[in-house]
Amino acid sequence: MGRAPAAMQPNDLDSISVLGRGTRVRGRVSGEGDLRVEGAVEGDVNLTGELLVEDGAEIQGNVEALAVTISGGLTGDVMARGPIVIRASAKVSGKLGGTEISLEEGADFSGRIEAIFDMPPELGGKPVGR
Amino acid sequence: MAGTIIGSGITIEGEITSDEEVVVSGTVRGKLSVDGGVTVESGAVVEADVAAGTLSVGGHVTGNVSASDRVDLLAGGRLVGDVKAARLTIADGASFKGNVDMDV
Repeated sequence: MGRAPAAMQPNDLDSISVLGRGTRVRGRVSGEGDLRVEGAVEGDVNLTGELLVEDGAEIQGNVEALAVTISGGLTGDVMARGPIVIRASAKVSGKLGGTEISLEEGADFSGRIEAIFDMPPELGGKPVGR
Repeated sequence: MAGTIIGSGITIEGEITSDEEVVVSGTVRGKLSVDGGVTVESGAVVEADVAAGTLSVGGHVTGNVSASDRVDLLAGGRLVGDVKAARLTIADGASFKGNVDMDV
């Protein structure tokens, strides 16, 4: 089993959704709250909360979420309103957009990264990235 | 803990297949095929054909349902659709509309 970040510990069971290892979804997943994927999703994922793609999980589709942590496989574009973390075990292919993007050593990534942040004032102070 | 939990804020439109227990507290539209148990919690909405080992309905299910073992319609639960299962219970306070095939 992969590790869950502190924000997804079961303090509020109602808001936690899990697609387990033996589960496959073909279609659209959307809604409020966090989602942990251990199985497979073929389709788009759109969440107000955090998406966690565990090691062994596979997502084929575009993702929009508050924050995204990927330890498994993902093929598609990811747009986060917050940070995107790509763990060492991940295999990611697509375009990533977020406020912060981190890529651990060992991760398999192909695609494009667009981080949206403010440049320091001495460099013009204008937002870059998009 | 169940293998798969579809939380109350989550909607899945499409096909879900699973070989482990699935708990639905949110919304599922499409098709749900599970080898193990399916629990539709109170407040959940399932507009899908459901095939499962066992099915327990405390929320609203619209669609045809088949279970290899049993279907339990709990108080407050609502099931509109045909049921095919060897065993079926309908609790006092549940609502049901559809045909039942107990495979006799």
